Amino acid sequence: MKKIPPWAMVLIGALVCVGLDLGYDAAVSADRALKFWMHIAVICAINVLGATSLNIVNGMAGQFSIGHAGFVGLGAYLGGAVAARVALMMGLSLAQLHDNLTLGQSMVIMPAVLLPVIVVCALVGFVVGLPSLRLRGDYLAIVTLGFSEILRLTVLGTAEETAQNPITRAIAALGGSLGYRGPRVGTDFTGVPSVAGPFWTVGIAAFAVFLALRLKRSGYGRALRAVREDEIAAAAVGVDPARYKVTAFVLAAVGAGIAGALLAVQRDGPGIVSPALMKFDRSFEVITMVILGGSGSVSGAAIGAILYTVVFYASEEGLRIAGQSGVEIFAKMDAAALRMALFAATLVLVMLVRPEGIFGERELFEKKDGGKPVDKEPKGKSGVPGALEA
Amino acid sequence: MAEDLLVLENVDKRFGGLRAVGGVSFRVPRGSIFGLIGPNGAGKTTVFNLVTGVYRADGGAIRLSDTQLVGKTPAQIAACGVARTFQNIRLFASMTVVDNVLVAGELKRKATLTQEIARTKHFWSDEKDLDARARTLLDAMGLLDVADVPATSLPYGSQRRLEIARALMLQPKLLLLDEPAAGLNYGEAESLKEQIRGLRDTYDLTIILVEHNMQVVMGVCERIHVLDHGVTIAEGTPTEVKQHPKVIAAYLGDEREGEEAEA
Repeated sequence: MKKIPPWAMVLIGALVCVGLDLGYDAAVSADRALKFWMHIAVICAINVLGATSLNIVNGMAGQFSIGHAGFVGLGAYLGGAVAARVALMMGLSLAQLHDNLTLGQSMVIMPAVLLPVIVVCALVGFVVGLPSLRLRGDYLAIVTLGFSEILRLTVLGTAEETAQNPITRAIAALGGSLGYRGPRVGTDFTGVPSVAGPFWTVGIAAFAVFLALRLKRSGYGRALRAVREDEIAAAAVGVDPARYKVTAFVLAAVGAGIAGALLAVQRDGPGIVSPALMKFDRSFEVITMVILGGSGSVSGAAIGAILYTVVFYASEEGLRIAGQSGVEIFAKMDAAALRMALFAATLVLVMLVRPEGIFGERELFEKKDGGKPVDKEPKGKSGVPGALEA
Repeated sequence: MAEDLLVLENVDKRFGGLRAVGGVSFRVPRGSIFGLIGPNGAGKTTVFNLVTGVYRADGGAIRLSDTQLVGKTPAQIAACGVARTFQNIRLFASMTVVDNVLVAGELKRKATLTQEIARTKHFWSDEKDLDARARTLLDAMGLLDVADVPATSLPYGSQRRLEIARALMLQPKLLLLDEPAAGLNYGEAESLKEQIRGLRDTYDLTIILVEHNMQVVMGVCERIHVLDHGVTIAEGTPTEVKQHPKVIAAYLGDEREGEEAEA
C-alpha cells in the first residue's frame, strides 16, 4: 500500500470533520431522538480527548495524577469566558448567543478559544508537574488532587457580594457556586455560547489520538516509558527524568484543558460551566477510563473512554425506559447510584481478571514501525502477535 | 602514560551521621582498567553513585578531563560520557531488549520532538542510525537474536550483558562496572576478564570496576584502589595491593581492631 503523506491525511480528516459538522446539524434538526445519541457521540469524543491526555502522564510516564479534572475545569472556564467575549466582539447579538453558532463562526471563535487555553494550561501543567520531580506515587497523587480542589474551592467560594479586590471580583464574575453562564442580560444570562460542532470535538479528539500514538511510537515515547520503568537507570543513560515528567504533565494539561473548553462551548452544550466539573469524581471518571482500557495504551484509553461514556448514558436511558414499562423498582432507582455500583464492580473485576486493562499496553493495531529494519529471520518462538510485549 | 581521565579529590559523602565516603582521592588514567575494591559497606558503590551524580558529594571535587562533575545531574553526567551498570541489574523491565538499548541513544538523536511527531526525514534517519547502532552492539554482546523479547525474560548473565550494551550505546569515555562478576562461576569469570579487556580496546574506553571477585579484579585491573569504611587504605598494582597489610587486615579481619571496635 502506498503511504499517504501526512498533510493529505490531515486534509482528508479535516474534510471528514466538516462533513460530520454539517451532517450533525441536518440530523439534529430532522430527529430529536437522534440528537440524544449524537450528543453522546460528541461527549464520547471529548472524553476520548480527556482520557488520551491523562494516559500520557498516568500511563506513559507513570506519574499518578488524580487532578485531571482541575485542568478540564480550567480549560472549561477559560474557553467559555473567551468564547463569550469573542462572540460579542464579533458583533453577535445576545439573542444569537442563545442558539448554536454556525461552522463558519466557529472557525473564527475556536482558534481564539484554543490558543489561550493551550497557553494557560501548559503553564499551569508545568507548575503542577514540578512536584513530580520530588514526589512519587501517593504523595504526587495528593498534590495533583490538591491542585484541582484548590481551583474548585476558589471558584466555588468567591461570591460577587463579598469580592473586595480585582482578583476576587474577576473570579466572582465566573459565577461562583452557580457556575459561569455566559454574558449577563439584566438578571439573566445568555449561557455559554454553543460554538464547537463535531468538526471541533470529533476532529480534535481524533487528532489527539493520532498525536498520542505517534508520541508513543517515537524515541520520546520510548524514553518516557524508560523513565516510568526506572528513573535512575534512565538518568544513567542520559534521559533526564525531570524534563520528561514535566513535559508529560504539560501535554496532559493541554489535552485536558482543550477537552474542558470543548465541553463548555460544544454545540447544544449545557450553556454552563460549573465548579462541579472540577470535582474529584470527574478525575476519577477519567482514571477509570484509562485503567479500564489499559494504562499506557492510546487506543485502550480511547476505547475505555467510549465504553465508559456509552454505559454512562445508556444506563440512564435504560433505567428511564424500564421505568416507563411499569416495573416499579426501575422507576425508583437512581441512575447515579446504579452507575457507581456498576463501575465500581467493573473496576474490581478488571483488577482481578485483567489488572493491566483491556489492552494492557498494546494498541488496537499493532504495527512494526516502518523505520525499523525488519528482522532478517522470522522468530518462531511465539506465534501470537503482541504476545512478546505483554 | 596517558593523562588522567577521571580525578577524585578529597571526596566526602555523609548520610546523616554516617560518613560513607571520607576524603577519597584517586586518579584514573585514560585507557586503563581501574579496580575499586573493599569489604562490604566500604563505600565502593557510593563512589560510583557520586561519580554518576546519583548522590551529590558533600565536599571535594570530581573531574572528568576538565569538567567538574559535582553538582551535575545524572543525565548531564551521562551526556559528558560516563556510563555505568548497576549492582542489582536495572533494566527497563517491560521493554524489549533492543528498546532498552535504544533509550540510551536518545542523547544522540538530532530530531526535535515536533520533528519526531511529524515524522520528518530527520526522524527516520535518526531511527535508522540508532537502530543500526543498537543492533551492532547487541550483536557484539551476543544478544542480537533475542533483540525483540522483553528484557526481563533474559537469563541473568544476558541481562548483565544487556546492561553493558545499553551503557555502550551512550558512546561513553568512561564505563563504570558495578560487580559484573556477581553470580558467575569460575569459567564465566575467566571469560569476563577477556570481555572487559575487549571492551576497553574495541570501544576505546576507560573502565572502573567495583568487584568482589578477586580472580577478576587481580586478573584484569592495572591499578587497584582499596576502600574500607569509606576511607582509602591502599592503592597500587594488583601485586602491591595483595601484599598490603591493611588490605589483608580489612579482608581477613584483624583481631586487635575487632576488639577495639567492641570495646
